[in-house]
Amino acid sequence: MAEKNIDSFMNDPIDYFDGSITKMHMLPRDELEALQREAMSRRFADHRQNIEMVRNLADRLEIKEVKEFDDLVPLFFAHTAFKSYPAALFDKKRFDLMTAWLQKLTTKDLSEVDCEGCDSIEEWIDRLDAQSELRVITSSGTTGTISIIPKDEHGGFYNMRLWRLFLFQTFGKEPTREELEPVVDVIWPNYSSGKLGHLRMVELLKREFTGNDENRFHALYSDAISTDLMFLASKLRAAASRGELDRVQIDPKLLARKQEFEAMEARRPEEMKAFFARITSQLAGQRVFMTGTYTLMYELAAAGLERGVKNVFAKNSAILTGGGTKGHVLPENYMEVIKEFLGVERIQEGYGMSEISALHWACDENRYHVQPWVIPFLLDPDTSEPLPRSGVQTGRAAFYDFVNQSHWGGIISGDEISIDWDTPCSCGLASVHIAHDIMRYSEKQGVEDDRITCAATQDVHDEAVNFMREFEG
Amino acid sequence: MSEFRVPLFLRGEVIEEDWKTFGGRRGSGTFEAPDTAQYIDRLPLSSPLAMADLYEISFEEILDVLEELGRALDFEKNKHLQQAYAAGLVAANYPPALLANSYTTLPYAFDRESIREIAETRIGIDYLEGWVPRTLRDGREVRIRAFGSRALHVPAGNGGLVSAVTIIRNAITRSDAIIKVPSNDPLTALAIARTLAEVAPNHPLTKHLAVAYWKGGDLEVEQPLYRPENIEKIVAWGGFASVKHVTRYIQPGLEMIGLDPKRSATIIGPEAFQSEETLDEVALRAACDIGVANQEACASARVIYVLCGSDAQGIERANRLGQRIYEKLVALPEHISSKPKSFDRELRDHIEASRMTEDWFRVIGGEDGEGAVIVSQMDEPVDYSPMLSGRVANLVPVDDIKKVTEAVNAYTQTVGIFPESLKRELRDQLPLFGAQRLTSLGYACHVTTAMPQDAIEPVRRMCKWIVDEECDPEKVFPMWKAPALA
Repeated sequence: MAEKNIDSFMNDPIDYFDGSITKMHMLPRDELEALQREAMSRRFADHRQNIEMVRNLADRLEIKEVKEFDDLVPLFFAHTAFKSYPAALFDKKRFDLMTAWLQKLTTKDLSEVDCEGCDSIEEWIDRLDAQSELRVITSSGTTGTISIIPKDEHGGFYNMRLWRLFLFQTFGKEPTREELEPVVDVIWPNYSSGKLGHLRMVELLKREFTGNDENRFHALYSDAISTDLMFLASKLRAAASRGELDRVQIDPKLLARKQEFEAMEARRPEEMKAFFARITSQLAGQRVFMTGTYTLMYELAAAGLERGVKNVFAKNSAILTGGGTKGHVLPENYMEVIKEFLGVERIQEGYGMSEISALHWACDENRYHVQPWVIPFLLDPDTSEPLPRSGVQTGRAAFYDFVNQSHWGGIISGDEISIDWDTPCSCGLASVHIAHDIMRYSEKQGVEDDRITCAATQDVHDEAVNFMREFEG
Repeated sequence: MSEFRVPLFLRGEVIEEDWKTFGGRRGSGTFEAPDTAQYIDRLPLSSPLAMADLYEISFEEILDVLEELGRALDFEKNKHLQQAYAAGLVAANYPPALLANSYTTLPYAFDRESIREIAETRIGIDYLEGWVPRTLRDGREVRIRAFGSRALHVPAGNGGLVSAVTIIRNAITRSDAIIKVPSNDPLTALAIARTLAEVAPNHPLTKHLAVAYWKGGDLEVEQPLYRPENIEKIVAWGGFASVKHVTRYIQPGLEMIGLDPKRSATIIGPEAFQSEETLDEVALRAACDIGVANQEACASARVIYVLCGSDAQGIERANRLGQRIYEKLVALPEHISSKPKSFDRELRDHIEASRMTEDWFRVIGGEDGEGAVIVSQMDEPVDYSPMLSGRVANLVPVDDIKKVTEAVNAYTQTVGIFPESLKRELRDQLPLFGAQRLTSLGYACHVTTAMPQDAIEPVRRMCKWIVDEECDPEKVFPMWKAPALA
């Protein structure tokens, strides 16, 4: 490994670590940190030159280079950076200006993207897909805007390959060929497409897990979530908080699709029934890969157990969950309920966020291990000053991800996390580990969470469609 | 560990036992208060007849007591107020000088002639003192009198003045008040009540005041208390959640006087740019509307529309005004406005994102949490405008007033306007959209209670308007003599 260079470490860690997750997490801390410092400094130089917003920020702060980890802290973006455009640009269909805004957040060239005649957010994103390397993902917010994160195609697939490594390998054992390239059925308790972060994964999952076999991908709902509908829902929430629901104008083009959206709602119970039928007959006892948020998994499991369905899949199936409970209150035994329904021994948990390419995987000791291509930081929640990288510290989580190339990788989260910097994890891995209990500051303080997460997708869809119903009478 | 205690005030008696611990508003600052559920029977008035003693005193006597109370609310000497100040330092977001100033100025609310003005202009003292006669067209004699009511008050916690206003309104309407104190101003109402008990022990005004803390939504307290047999009105200020929460108890016989959560707007006409002197004055006035009470009031300026045009020249003007407002804002005297104790994290993230989005926003200041002015570089406010707080304003250059009326709605309380001529032009139009109070720029937070509030007359509504009719068959046609018309 020593002969491999820093380029490989920061651009292709799978290659650098020979595809072994054990190697990834067994590198001695000081050796890893030396590599990380070098990678961080190079990626910053690259992004300072090629991402306008990073350059402007660095210039304003008079930061020309970063050497020590803490040098990066003033340069972190909050999630708000990816929704800093005025929402009015969408209402006015100024997709040319949206593209100009996005260009300042990405290294990818958008000069060939043609926005002439572009009529909806969905169409704009489709054009970005077709005419650039970007595969932006969206999320939703109650401030009337949705986040637009400029991910690229390469990064997306790379990320899925990493998922595959972690899902099918065992820590401490060198991977077998089968573990490196498994082909399984994918159970997807979700919508079939859309531009939200998790829905963007559908194509990636198909390619990386099912061997591109469409028939081995099993989605709960056949429909797509419309980005324009998500935007409307977010606008409605903002308008409601301002007492301005009477002033909301719905794009006639979207309103014209009302019946289509209603039909989607009407189809859901039937599709749910068919989904259960399929997994309990055709897929019963198979080794599968399934992923969804805690809430989604729990609700599906509860619905299944109610129908008398349990122990559905093979014991060694790969099941991945995470995403926090996002304000939903789940019963204490929710993991047991999910396991009973699925019939699996182990459920893999991961901690990540849309702005970072890595998912940090939980070990058998229930601690999330930070991936080697991500540098974790803890910040004082009030001052954003970095906390010492020693002892046990609790603070606002921030991460610098240097593998990701299309956008700036320094992100401050809204999460409170704890890291024990000095004690090696009892699971045996050498990497930095995060305590299992993670809380959003907004939930902690009882403030309404600004973000609509994937867990709330359906609620949000229904909310928007209900509003459209009232609108037309 | 508890940082202060909030005793229970029951009509002159101070209860300091049965302590229960409560969490503060900002994560820290837990405090103790007696378990109100244990005193629930003593909180409301035992019988409606117990209101009778309020009618044995004259309006002048009420003014005497309130004047005496005002004198005793001397922050230098009054230990109850000093305790309230100490608790406020923990429970509220106000810096010390600002909080101290709110107590130093509290006695002005009790000025005899000011209270007389409220009673006279909002109700009419004759109606409070007796039956006011009038002969109607059909010949009947009506006599109308304003009676007090049994009311529960949920005052807002952003400033002790709200508690003082509540106690004054209760006294002049000869009402009975139970005040549920807010956790961000836990002791002001109590301090005024305890001082009242000292200057007027056993006086009807003291006996018709109860002050208690319980956690908003505590069913053990609210379900038995919020019933028509105990209270007739609930006066609910502030937060959406608290107002919304109260509505579930509203039923025939129990009405709500809702002083809903509000927001305010500011409109500055092109005249602001006539001269450097004018621009300076406009900037100072706008800074004052933003800064007073550190922008925690509903009347505080947040989004400021500037009718300077949204072309390049207009935006340049808005930037110039923004810079000037920022300079005036941070230079405001400490007792009026100063750097907030803490700054909303989510808002800070939004501001920093806007700072990076130079095509659309120019952010002036704000790097140290001292306050900021965000100048939109187009005719749209920031999408996070409802979050603006901690002395952060958003200047929006617009071409015409239509853009402004779009943003005015039923949540819009105050609209501060410069110049006066523009206000006169707008005053018949803005109320149609929902605006409730139009005032001169610089006076948004300089409020008096001798006016309607939030487009309603809360003091009139605290009264029960009772009619005594006298119908002499010689003058008023008797129905029993009506011929069949068919």
